[in-house]
Amino acid sequence: MSATLPQFSQMIGFSPLLAAASSNAALITFLIYTLAVFGLAALSNQLMKNKNFLSEYFLGSRSLGVWAFALTFAATSSSGGSFTGFPSKIYTHGWILGLWIGSYIVVPICAMGLLGKRINHVARISGAITVPDVLRDRFHSARFGLLAVSLIVFFMSFNLIAQFKAGSEILNTLLSGVGPFDQSVAWVDSVKSNVGFLQNVDPAYLLCLVTFSVAVILYTTYGGFHAVVWTDVMQGIVMVIGVIIMLPLAINAVGSLPEATEQLARMTPPRIGLAQVSVEVPATESLTLNGPWFTLPGEDDARPRLFRINKTLVIPAGKTTVDHVRYVEVTTPEEIDNQLKRLADQDQTDIAAFKVKLREFMQSQLEWIKKNPDSASGGKGEDVRGNIRLLEQQSAALLGTGSFQPVDIEITLSKRYPAPFGDGRAGMYVSGPGPPKPPSLPADPGTIVVNVDQPDAEIRVFNSANVRQVTRSTDDGPAVIALNKGEYRLDVVKADFSVFSQEITITKDATATLDVNLVAAPDAEYGPMSDDEEESILSLGFLPLSIAISFFFMWAISGAGQPSSMVRLMAFNNSTTLRRSIFTVAIYYSLIYFPLVIIFCCARVILPGMDLESDRIMPQMAVTLTQQIGQGWLAGLLVAAPFAAVMSTVDSFLLMISSALVRDIYQRNINPEAKEKTIKRLTFLFTFMVGAGATLGAVNPPQFLQDIIVYTGSGLAACFLAPTVFALYWPRSNSQGCIGGMLAGFSAHLAMYVAGYFANGSFFKPYQLFDFNPIIVGLLVSFVGGYLITRLTPPPSEEIVRKYFYRKKTS
Amino acid sequence: MSEAVHTGQGEDLEFDPVFLHSRREAIIIFFVWLAAFIWAVPYCYFNGYVDATSVVEIDTVWGIPSWVFWGIGAPWIAANIFTTWFCFCYMEDDDLGEAMEGADIAEEVSEMHADDKGANA
Repeated sequence: MSATLPQFSQMIGFSPLLAAASSNAALITFLIYTLAVFGLAALSNQLMKNKNFLSEYFLGSRSLGVWAFALTFAATSSSGGSFTGFPSKIYTHGWILGLWIGSYIVVPICAMGLLGKRINHVARISGAITVPDVLRDRFHSARFGLLAVSLIVFFMSFNLIAQFKAGSEILNTLLSGVGPFDQSVAWVDSVKSNVGFLQNVDPAYLLCLVTFSVAVILYTTYGGFHAVVWTDVMQGIVMVIGVIIMLPLAINAVGSLPEATEQLARMTPPRIGLAQVSVEVPATESLTLNGPWFTLPGEDDARPRLFRINKTLVIPAGKTTVDHVRYVEVTTPEEIDNQLKRLADQDQTDIAAFKVKLREFMQSQLEWIKKNPDSASGGKGEDVRGNIRLLEQQSAALLGTGSFQPVDIEITLSKRYPAPFGDGRAGMYVSGPGPPKPPSLPADPGTIVVNVDQPDAEIRVFNSANVRQVTRSTDDGPAVIALNKGEYRLDVVKADFSVFSQEITITKDATATLDVNLVAAPDAEYGPMSDDEEESILSLGFLPLSIAISFFFMWAISGAGQPSSMVRLMAFNNSTTLRRSIFTVAIYYSLIYFPLVIIFCCARVILPGMDLESDRIMPQMAVTLTQQIGQGWLAGLLVAAPFAAVMSTVDSFLLMISSALVRDIYQRNINPEAKEKTIKRLTFLFTFMVGAGATLGAVNPPQFLQDIIVYTGSGLAACFLAPTVFALYWPRSNSQGCIGGMLAGFSAHLAMYVAGYFANGSFFKPYQLFDFNPIIVGLLVSFVGGYLITRLTPPPSEEIVRKYFYRKKTS
Repeated sequence: MSEAVHTGQGEDLEFDPVFLHSRREAIIIFFVWLAAFIWAVPYCYFNGYVDATSVVEIDTVWGIPSWVFWGIGAPWIAANIFTTWFCFCYMEDDDLGEAMEGADIAEEVSEMHADDKGANA
């Protein structure tokens, strides 16, 4: 099928993501931001003079006031995911993300109020600086302290590597297309080719990783906790300002929120597939198209089919064909009409802007030639009037007609991967469980074409575990279904017809055909689905009930169990600060999370076709919204928000690991009498080394970035929440019970992942007991295990109980 | 809860009020989480989840699907009102005490020296 490539902008190589103005703004924002961070680190370093070094460096001398405490807590909890992964999820799944983050309505009061006052109090009694310190002192148990340190270092190290990668990727998105950055990437590319282990690393990613790492490691190492807190405050302000600016712009861009929701209600999920793209004549230079749109003739001539190719399409020089290109097909007629209109408007705008630039360029060339006729003629005294005439003719031709010949491109749609739930159905984006994420490409794909002799029938394909893989209607004619190689069962159902069922085998790279003749059976029992069938289908959506329940635990309860949050709870100066900070964070989260849901539901209407690159929706939305109001520079501020979020998380984790090594291992187990000078040097050294180690680990990072973050976050909660609650609130608790609870939580959580490896073929597809997330199992086992072991073992010593739970009567 | 813990009957001791207040506040917070959970998840499930075959008809409140508004938005506002009351009218302003910086290390060093003396003796 021949397709037209209507975008003028894509032919002349305009970057669709960050246009020049906003890119420069992004670079300037980043530079100002980095300078401010270093300034804050220098100020923090001054604070360390004349204070207890470790308490100041790792805990800010327990002196945080309301704003510092509230914003450092909020910013640390909001990792880069809040501004990249979360917007991406909203874009992909719609309003159901309101329930996904539903427990944020009580996260501030839970995460800060459940443990805050008491852990701060207990830490002051013993002089504890770190979370392992608290547990070790509370039970007077060195082995408990060491166990806690080991788990923190284990989980946090993986998490740190993942966060470094996330930070680098965000920076890459931010600076991509900026002239000086692209030149630096070219230089890095030439340098890294001489270094063996860097040869396969993307030079842009490597440059961003080094820049990001150097900035974070230096300011964290030099400034310590106060530098981290102050930068968190700045980052927290950047985040909330970014959201507050984007919200009215997004609503304005769609007309109104009711309009946006109504459009979302009419939308059907896009279709994902593979295509072969070819040009008639081999290009002399490689042809690069950034997320190009294509149209193909539709069934009725009135409306074409509209496709967008995934990310960047490159047709190499001398080649005519590119295979296995992923595409998104927009399926809602209204969306197709709107997008075609937008593309036409965009073309006009781009052509007009190009004409202005071309006119300026031609004018300057003519002026220069007129002023320097000798230079223009190569110093040979030749008549330059011919050159001037040529330029004038070219200029007039371009400016006069604006007629740019479209590139003739042939597209063959080779495979289609229908969504397992919600394919072709409206309303998915405004209801639960929400459409699932776009199907990933099968590793060993094969195809089956199913011809059913009846319209309005439904094709269902189940894998060997009886989990439904595909649901397709026969309305569109023969169903072309791509699946991974293997054994399946294919059912075809229709009211008043017998159910057709057949085992099928999918072979890699092969296409099988199945003709189905349904047999009429007026008394057939096929009718409304049973509750079990209904539930089974809903579970294929994004957020089935069990997962919604799991996430209500995940954010509020497991958030309270994160050691990185606990450390902050040990750093505020008095309980008045805690009260006011809980209120401040409650307002802060209200200003960020629910508005983000609104903004990126609007994004689905404004920017269709980004389903295969939805991680870029935040910067793309920032650029689109600010360009619509003619304030491209604002994009720099808006895209700084995700960078700020990931930076504020990374610096906190970095400090946690180095405090674990210096305080909990060296000072408390190897050399308690170490001089402050030695401790200081070791602290700087370890902070730097941990950061450098994480940077090296992130050069070739593990593949499952988001999965690692989920695993480590839920794992830490499963290990630390129950022992900490027992330690703070139960005088009868003892070290045996809390160590048992910690190990039980760790083991149960890990067991779900190991079971997932055997049951689902991947460590990062954990086994979900009763369909619940492993965090539920881990927390339950940890609490129950800790309680039972405590009851079965002797009570703690009177001295310890008196120290942490009693005081002398005052009257 | 402290029935099995011997705290020295002869001494004139009482529970630290910071512990008592913190525990009471934590229990209330836990029940607030539970209330939010019991309201939000079932409300959204029964009003926002469609069956697999029906056509979706959507009611909105200020442009927000009504199940999101009443299931999440309104409770969010209620939770913020509760948080405001809890923070400014209920939570105790307890004295958390002076931090005993270095006390734990000092204790360990003295125990270490005591062990050394014991070993030498």
